[in-house]
Amino acid sequence: MGGIITDRDNKWYQIFNIRKLTLIFIFLLLLSINNSIAAEQSGTGDISCYHCHSRLVSDFQKSVHFDKNTCADCHGGDLNISGSLVSINVMHANFTGKPTAVNIADFCAKCHPGSSGVYEESIHWQKLKEDRPAASCTDCHGIHNILSSKDPNSSTFPQNIAETCAKCHENQTRMQALYYGIKTDRFDTYKKSYHYKSYKSGGGVIATCSDCHENHDTRIASDPKSAINPANLITTCGKKGCHEGAGNVFLSGGKIHEEQSVYLLSFDAKRIVTIFYIIMILFELTFTFGLIFLGITSKFDIKRRH
Amino acid sequence: MVELIFKRFTLNQRIQHILFFTSFILLAYTGFPLKFPESWWSSWMIASVGGFDNRTLIHHLSGLVMIGVSVYHVVYHILEKPRYDVLFNLKDIDDFKQQMKYFLRYSDEHPKYGRYTFKQKVEYFGAGFGAVVMGFSGLLMWQPFEAMKYFPIGLIQIAGLFHTWEAVLASIAVFIGHFYDEHFDKFLNMSWWTGNIPEEEMKHEHPLEYEEAMKNRPTGNMEHLEHKENNILITGFGKIVFTLIFIAICSWLVWMSYTILYEAIVNYIL
Repeated sequence: MGGIITDRDNKWYQIFNIRKLTLIFIFLLLLSINNSIAAEQSGTGDISCYHCHSRLVSDFQKSVHFDKNTCADCHGGDLNISGSLVSINVMHANFTGKPTAVNIADFCAKCHPGSSGVYEESIHWQKLKEDRPAASCTDCHGIHNILSSKDPNSSTFPQNIAETCAKCHENQTRMQALYYGIKTDRFDTYKKSYHYKSYKSGGGVIATCSDCHENHDTRIASDPKSAINPANLITTCGKKGCHEGAGNVFLSGGKIHEEQSVYLLSFDAKRIVTIFYIIMILFELTFTFGLIFLGITSKFDIKRRH
Repeated sequence: MVELIFKRFTLNQRIQHILFFTSFILLAYTGFPLKFPESWWSSWMIASVGGFDNRTLIHHLSGLVMIGVSVYHVVYHILEKPRYDVLFNLKDIDDFKQQMKYFLRYSDEHPKYGRYTFKQKVEYFGAGFGAVVMGFSGLLMWQPFEAMKYFPIGLIQIAGLFHTWEAVLASIAVFIGHFYDEHFDKFLNMSWWTGNIPEEEMKHEHPLEYEEAMKNRPTGNMEHLEHKENNILITGFGKIVFTLIFIAICSWLVWMSYTILYEAIVNYIL
């Protein structure tokens, strides 16, 4: 040929001109929609809720409940009625939409009557009943993506429990808004303890929040049934596998989250120790690095070299 | 060239030193990761000794070794002929002044040290003080529930405070101060292993002791040795390795002391 090659001379252009391309595109689009619907329905086991609540259902798919339960087990309603148009179809059989914090315990009690029953004696539940915000089941266990406490990603996995509790208990605005006299430094003071440091640096979990405060039966310390009531501390700390035989111990000497101090002639001993060592370390750093620096600079003088 | 060899440390002293520094290094290595559990190096260091339980075991055993050596050292001093050259005296103040004058170019005359320099004396008594503090506070924290039968919990928390601060203080003194002076500046100083100090170094570092030793020279006590020139490649390589290790340990310790000082100043002073 040798001449100028135009678009129309191109073989591929002749095969796929713009009209054909548009038709193919529309055809593929239809095909893909069809395919995706088929894939979705097979993956979610025909959950009609998926059409609108796709994010929630895909969360639910990861949870421990997915194999045994359907949406209807918690939310009510009838899944057998196709909800392809509007969810009004699902709503007819005693359907509960978004449960309130107080309702959630009832939801879970259907299958977990034991844990819910214990939970309903806790301080969290008491405050919820008084219409004040407090932790319900889902605040600790998650909502749709509830995992087994043996799963390392779970919020109730022993090593994650402190972070889970801290979500609310470290939050100053939340704790102040419903001020019950709870201090927000509980996680910080726990971080200083060997209990926390052990598992954080790769050791076994020793004691986390729920080991002393109980997981479902969390009570205020002044409650005589509370695990952290001074009268019960010996049994709580002396649990099997923990500090067994912690009998005649000076437990009244202090609280674990509080900094206890010994006073020498009305001076706080911890303050004295800390200030003493601050001065010592600052002095030592100056002294050590100063002499090293002077020693090195001294060697720059050739006449001083030996 | 033939030179004299002086005996600086007896075998007994060398074994004490080796036991002390081995336990010291192990204690620091297994102790600091627990103080800073959220640092990246913490879990790495604990994994390197084979897990958390091993860490605790090594820390406790090394602590016992250190307490044992410290107690033995006191007994050793009582049984041995008493010596006073390690105690502080007025000459140390003059030495310090002279050293500063020399460093700051007010004088070209280096201070004449005896058997121990003022810095070595500070390190020696610092180690003694540290061993007492670490030993007692460590024992209190080892079995807190046992200890709480006799002491209030506040005292055990104070023991923890002492343990941390003294650990940082002692580590700076040993890993930076002592290591630089005795093993880096005088590279390669093998007297911790052989107990010997060559004549050249003796004249340079401890001139007063040298004069004393040459004055009343017991003929049997000294050996002669062929002076060997070190291979410059090996020495140079060793110095580079030592420098890298030293810089790493320095930055680690400085970071830790900065962290701990910052927290303490915020909590207790501001």
